[in-house]
Amino acid sequence: MRSLLRRYREPIFVAFLLALPFTVFAVKAKQKLALNVFDRTVISMTAPVEKFIVWSVQGVQDEWHGYLALRSVREDNLRLRRDLIREKSQSSAFAETKAENDRLRRLLDYTDKQGPIRSLVAPVVAVGASPHSHVLRIARGSEEGVHRGMPVISPDGVVGTIALTTAHYADIQLIVSPTSAVPALNERTRARATVKGTGDLARCKLEYGQRTEEWHDGDLLRTAGTVGFFPQGMPIGRLVNVSKKPTGMFVSAEVVPVVDFARLDEVIVVLGSQDAAATGGNAFVNASSVGANQ
Amino acid sequence: MILRALLVIALCLAAAILESVFPFVFHMSAARADLLLVVVLYLALNDEVIPGAALSLAAGYISDITSATPTCLYAFLAVFTFAAVRIGGNAVKTDGGPQSMAVAFAASLIHSTLAAVLFYFVAPGSEGLVLKFSPLIWSAVATAAVAPLVFSVLRRLDKGFVPADAALRVR
Repeated sequence: MRSLLRRYREPIFVAFLLALPFTVFAVKAKQKLALNVFDRTVISMTAPVEKFIVWSVQGVQDEWHGYLALRSVREDNLRLRRDLIREKSQSSAFAETKAENDRLRRLLDYTDKQGPIRSLVAPVVAVGASPHSHVLRIARGSEEGVHRGMPVISPDGVVGTIALTTAHYADIQLIVSPTSAVPALNERTRARATVKGTGDLARCKLEYGQRTEEWHDGDLLRTAGTVGFFPQGMPIGRLVNVSKKPTGMFVSAEVVPVVDFARLDEVIVVLGSQDAAATGGNAFVNASSVGANQ
Repeated sequence: MILRALLVIALCLAAAILESVFPFVFHMSAARADLLLVVVLYLALNDEVIPGAALSLAAGYISDITSATPTCLYAFLAVFTFAAVRIGGNAVKTDGGPQSMAVAFAASLIHSTLAAVLFYFVAPGSEGLVLKFSPLIWSAVATAAVAPLVFSVLRRLDKGFVPADAALRVR
């Protein structure tokens, strides 16, 4: 028996190393991600290096663009981009407010269902290491009040939710991740559905969209504002390739996210509603005024 | 031996940091190289079975932590890749160069497809498996492009340990 083990020790060892992670994966796959002390140690070793490299590179890039080349153009560009973000933010707010106002007028119900939200601006310092990951790392963690499950947005629209946190860093699971699902409604028809990640950074898919409702290419989907989730009315993406099969309850369609995840320098973590807790200092801003504050 | 293992793990951490930072700084979304996969390929083609498999597990584990994926997904895939390439590796002997690029390209495609299949079993409420080949191919091309460089770095690291081993053998 011992000689047999000695003879086949290499295949046995490899089989053990295959079985061990697969068992852990099978057991923990559908549970929420959790970090142990060793995981936290590795992240606390790598994340500051990532932050340092990104800030150094961005610092050099900013110096180059700001002072060495096309200084005035760069400044104008920054100002115009700020203006654009502000306008987009206001435009989104106005469009949603108008649609909501029309709807509420019809219902003779003027109650504002959404209170102001508390949020935290967080710089992005890295992306997930694997080419197939759908993760952004931000330099804000549990010490700053960021916790797992919190929604993350940008002035353009929905980004994702917090998947993991350490003391000063957190990982965002993007809405394009296959494990992500966001309740949505069609801005034009108010029809409800779910936007599900596919793993492709450029596409999500529409799920549970009733085929009896109207769905057209180009329709903008916004967050449905489920309690404890994303704020109501945030843009998610636009419908493409809508097709109604002859049978079945639901339409088939893809959703192109409005946010370009490869070009996010800062995001906004939604900490909760202002009704739920008092604001916690200068770092907290009202999401609706982010564009105006920049 | 322990020092070499620690250096390979340090190299894996450095590779994970580069994988995280470069695509972000240069706004890359599709053509992202999988450096840790190339490290696993090098180990499969050049290392002893037991230390190679253990280091592959470590590389996969680092990939898991830095990607916020379901626990041990990449750790399993790394050991699986190590075993598969090891078995098929007798036919493919490479010290780098174009051969390493071809191996990395093929391994990246298979690795990505397996990751998508395993993800499908994890994603709750998923309607079906979604495989988008365009990003997979771009990622495989980028992985193939960096493979000779990573092989070269690891080969240099290994050369540093040859004299000590040779001296032991002489003794």
